[in-house]
Amino acid sequence: MSNLENYKKAFLSSFPIKEEQLEKLEYNQIDEWDSIGHMGLMSELEEKFKITLSTDDIVDFSSFQKGKKILKKYKINI
Amino acid sequence: MPIASSLLKKPRLVKKLKDFYEYVKFNDGKVGTKTRGIDLNFNNACNLRCKYCFTNSPKGDHVKEYLDYGAIADLADQADELGYFEFDLQGGELLLQPKKLFKVLEAIKPERFYLYVTTNGYYLDKSMAEKLAQANVSRVSVSIDSMDEKVHDEIRGRKDSWKRAIAALEHVRNAGMDPYLNITVGHYNANTDHFKQLLDYSKKKKYKTLLNVAVPAGMWQKAEQIICDDKDREYLRKIRKEYKNLVRNIWNPFDRTNEGILGCTTVNRLYITPIGDVLVCPYVHIKIGNIFKQSLKEIVDYGFKIKHFRNHSDLCLAGEDKSFIDKFMTKSGQTIFKPAEAKNIFSEEDYV
Repeated sequence: MSNLENYKKAFLSSFPIKEEQLEKLEYNQIDEWDSIGHMGLMSELEEKFKITLSTDDIVDFSSFQKGKKILKKYKINI
Repeated sequence: MPIASSLLKKPRLVKKLKDFYEYVKFNDGKVGTKTRGIDLNFNNACNLRCKYCFTNSPKGDHVKEYLDYGAIADLADQADELGYFEFDLQGGELLLQPKKLFKVLEAIKPERFYLYVTTNGYYLDKSMAEKLAQANVSRVSVSIDSMDEKVHDEIRGRKDSWKRAIAALEHVRNAGMDPYLNITVGHYNANTDHFKQLLDYSKKKKYKTLLNVAVPAGMWQKAEQIICDDKDREYLRKIRKEYKNLVRNIWNPFDRTNEGILGCTTVNRLYITPIGDVLVCPYVHIKIGNIFKQSLKEIVDYGFKIKHFRNHSDLCLAGEDKSFIDKFMTKSGQTIFKPAEAKNIFSEEDYV
């Protein structure tokens, strides 16, 4: 499975949304992406990519697009 | 928990929340001995006369005493250090004295916490909601007893309290904080149309709904008939699946199946009274220390030595565990200001 597929899968298993919604998805845009949902998503990404996100990056992780840039810092190209 | 608050503007909170998340995840979804929240009653004065008030505020109990700002600041620093990430300011009714409330907020430094104010909403207008949001308050919880205005006002002992509470929730949302509609549920209203109307309203409005089970404490100390029974609990389990906006402190908020039980959060969520006494939760009036006499860490460590509070319980000890209630919560006159002392009521076998 590619990094992009894994990345999308983390979102799709964290929130009840459709793949078409992902590109423009932002924190708090849907009810489920609240602080609790955010922690679940971060954990899912950490497990999938075997990384530990820093607090600053968790704070900055405000959208599907922004997350791609953040993961680059962990040498994960999406 | 937040639905629209600016969590991402509070890095220290994110760090503590992540620690909590990891702890729960690796502890089989249970809260264990992880620190979670501080419920602070810094003053007990209130403008309403609610029939079931657990602090005996309608009786005027200790309404002139205040926890001083220095002590609150020190408490908040210690709580932060110990990983507590929630701070619930409650009374009494804190919006009766907004100047004092804002000084308390300043002392706590809310940017470190998911901080919320629990209020009856009577004095919460647009301007006040905006001030609270500016002061970094993340959430405001407003209790509603019924969608029937007359019923709510009768329980609360004041006309217009329903109208103002309903309006307050909208002001909270419009100001950018998380609106929580708090409902007390007991044997008397579980599985009734009356209760369902409240759930439906909250869901329709996209508020979070915090369910507090009715507890035989405070004004209801002898009212054991209010306690939820097995059928009521089954009903609560059922509606948890239907209403995704429902929250209970003993439920695991991270569990997406809406089934997991975090466990009773005594000591995980401490209750501090205006005279500095530390109770194991707002509803279990058992004292485990005083912030003027011990450090918070000493108090927490002592609290978790008591097995009733350390061991996992699927039931809320104060509102569902009849054996615990009979043994430890029925002493005549037991209130938040006259709590039972843990060291007096527990014997060697109660400690781990």
